[in-house]
Amino acid sequence: MTTLAVSPLLSESVGDFTKPSIEYFDLSPLLIIIGVALAGVIVEAFVPRRLRYVVQTLVAVVGTIAALVMTVFVALGLEPRGDNAGFGAIAAEGAIAVDGPTVFLWGTILVLTLISVFLFAERHLEGGVTAFAGQAAALPGTEAEREASTKGLEHTEVFPLMMFAVAGMLLFPASNDLITMFVALEILSLPLYLLCGLARRRRLLSQEAALKYFMLGAFSSGFFLYGIALVYGYAGSMNLGDIAEAVSGTIGADPLLLGGIGLLAVGLLFKVGAAPFHAWTPDVYQGAPTAVTAFMAACTKVAAFGALLRLFYVGFGAARWDWTPMIWVVAILTMATGCVLALTQSDIKRMLAYSSIAHAGFILTGFVGLNAVATPGTAELTSLQAVLFYLVTYGFMTIGAFAVVTVVRDSSGEATHLSRWSGLGKESPFVAGVFAFFLLGMAGIPLTSGFTGKWAVFTSAWQGGAWPLVVVAALLSAVAAFFYIRVIVLMYFSDPVGEGPTVVMPSVLTTIVIAVGFAATVALGVVPGPVLDLAAHAGQFVR
Amino acid sequence: MDPTPFIGLSAILFTIGCIGVLVRRNAIVIFMCVELMLNASNLALVTFARVHGNLDGQVAAFFVMVVAAAEVVVGLAIIMTIFRTRRSASVDDASLLKY
Amino acid sequence: MAGSSTTLQTAYFGSYVPLLAIIVVGVLLVFAMFGGNALLRPSHATPEKLLTYECGVDPVGEGWAQTHVRYYVYAYLYVVFAVDAVFLFPWATVFAGLGWVSVAEMGVFIGFIAVGLVYAWRKGVLTWT
Repeated sequence: MTTLAVSPLLSESVGDFTKPSIEYFDLSPLLIIIGVALAGVIVEAFVPRRLRYVVQTLVAVVGTIAALVMTVFVALGLEPRGDNAGFGAIAAEGAIAVDGPTVFLWGTILVLTLISVFLFAERHLEGGVTAFAGQAAALPGTEAEREASTKGLEHTEVFPLMMFAVAGMLLFPASNDLITMFVALEILSLPLYLLCGLARRRRLLSQEAALKYFMLGAFSSGFFLYGIALVYGYAGSMNLGDIAEAVSGTIGADPLLLGGIGLLAVGLLFKVGAAPFHAWTPDVYQGAPTAVTAFMAACTKVAAFGALLRLFYVGFGAARWDWTPMIWVVAILTMATGCVLALTQSDIKRMLAYSSIAHAGFILTGFVGLNAVATPGTAELTSLQAVLFYLVTYGFMTIGAFAVVTVVRDSSGEATHLSRWSGLGKESPFVAGVFAFFLLGMAGIPLTSGFTGKWAVFTSAWQGGAWPLVVVAALLSAVAAFFYIRVIVLMYFSDPVGEGPTVVMPSVLTTIVIAVGFAATVALGVVPGPVLDLAAHAGQFVR
Repeated sequence: MDPTPFIGLSAILFTIGCIGVLVRRNAIVIFMCVELMLNASNLALVTFARVHGNLDGQVAAFFVMVVAAAEVVVGLAIIMTIFRTRRSASVDDASLLKY
Repeated sequence: MAGSSTTLQTAYFGSYVPLLAIIVVGVLLVFAMFGGNALLRPSHATPEKLLTYECGVDPVGEGWAQTHVRYYVYAYLYVVFAVDAVFLFPWATVFAGLGWVSVAEMGVFIGFIAVGLVYAWRKGVLTWT
């Protein structure tokens, strides 16, 4: 504590107030999404009930497309910073960095959001209503609930809630300052907590998932915040650039910095679902409505990994010797937990949840390999580019797989128990085939995007010198392949139990989602070049 | 001003909140402990703002208060729904999802 | 990797050995204390002993008092306006020097909160039934 000297007069440093400048163009995708969310609230207040569903869906879809278009314009307008320092600029008085990786992540999140909106809007599977509770305030199993369902009520508030979450997701990886990052973390989390509790069927499970997610999420954000306080105490600034300067100027370990890094890591690793902070993932993924699970499994992970990369590469890059051992342990633990526990699951959504934990471990492998500079003109990838590419492949596979889960049903709704999936290959070869393909993609079989993604993170980690980790990751991928293939065997080589599963023909919305997920998984597996180039062009974080 | 007592106090409050979350069984109490953790962080933030002589920490404390308020709204809504369904706010009773 | 950097790394990771030792000792201590406790104490659990301790008096009723749900909504609205004020005060001290643009920007901020209020109004929250 000897380094902390108190300045005599606080007011001296405050000085004259200058008007902040906001780069409205650079931030337009974010602002559009916030505007769409607010428009959704207004629609909910003023549009008659029977029109709300259509209007809300249109607003969400059009808004997301508009934000996507603006993202492309922002990407085209990024200025190079000179001497290989990446593209882009720091906007909003140092609070938000609009650079190559940010724009890449924005694009990814918005495309994934767009197809998630279709999943949210699916009405065919429940017989003319969405998969969300008709009236969340009505108690399960009461007269009020039956009345709400006979009236065909539905909560169209899910669309504005989703858009608020997306706004947080866009802000999270772009934030260049710790308090912005904290606010973004909460903006993305709070609507998700609510969305998790809004399932139409199995409402007790759904509410329990919301409670668990909320409790643990709030707990982890408490750690995150205390980490912010410690790092601020160490560096005297919230800005990542200033923190980086302070870190590189330090000799030896400062307890404030190390404690801060550890606590911030807890908050972020919780959001990406890394062990030992993964305990919420299976429960929440299972209990939440499947559309919400698909959305948060894909988009939250993309946003949280973006923030993790920015914080550790930009802010704590100079202290990497202090945090790499920790991330090594977490990466191995995460992969092992995900792969081993997935073997024992009997519920398809839980199994996919553990699989997403395993994927978080593989991404951490690429993250910790820290291959900072790639040789230009070769196939070499920096870890940042490898992770960005992996996130794209993971996002599409995950949304696709969960979309398939929504169409396999029995009389009580989605048939999520694995035993209900046996013999699906005979019942519906097409759906089973598509699902098998997604599983093969997640297992990382060649010619699927999962393979190219794994190849990218493993090579970058290898080149970054983390070869023992790559060996462990490769071994655990083999274990993971076992439980994916187990499901495929179950679908094709087992006889149906009882009546067997039925595949309900969804409307065009879910069909689009499955088709897009399938197409992306094939395309990124066969011709990964364009997206890899795009990730390579994203360059480095600016500071 | 020596900041050590303030930081020490904030660390103690944070630890109390943290232990409270881990050992208490009532969702509302757990929630109050989380709020205690956030406020312990606020104390640390304003102390460090004083130490460094800039306003970042104090502004951050404002934002944290706002976020905490929003969290209360969402959290109480979820806890209340669960309580009305189960007539219990014990987190041990919420045990349908496991393994 | 050159040889010298390897020794440097060994020395570096060597500095973590005390940390590892502390973790091991800490974990052992917890097990020792809880284990010792469990071995030494008599265990005669009766339902009464598992009750909540309330100043020696039998706990009566539930820890929950019923309040009308309406108050929750009003508390929520209070939060909306409290949040509003927190950010308005600092702005009010400087806005005169910033001109109308800053008034408009603050208008946007208040507009955000107003949207929430409009939603509450349209959902019938503001009428006291």
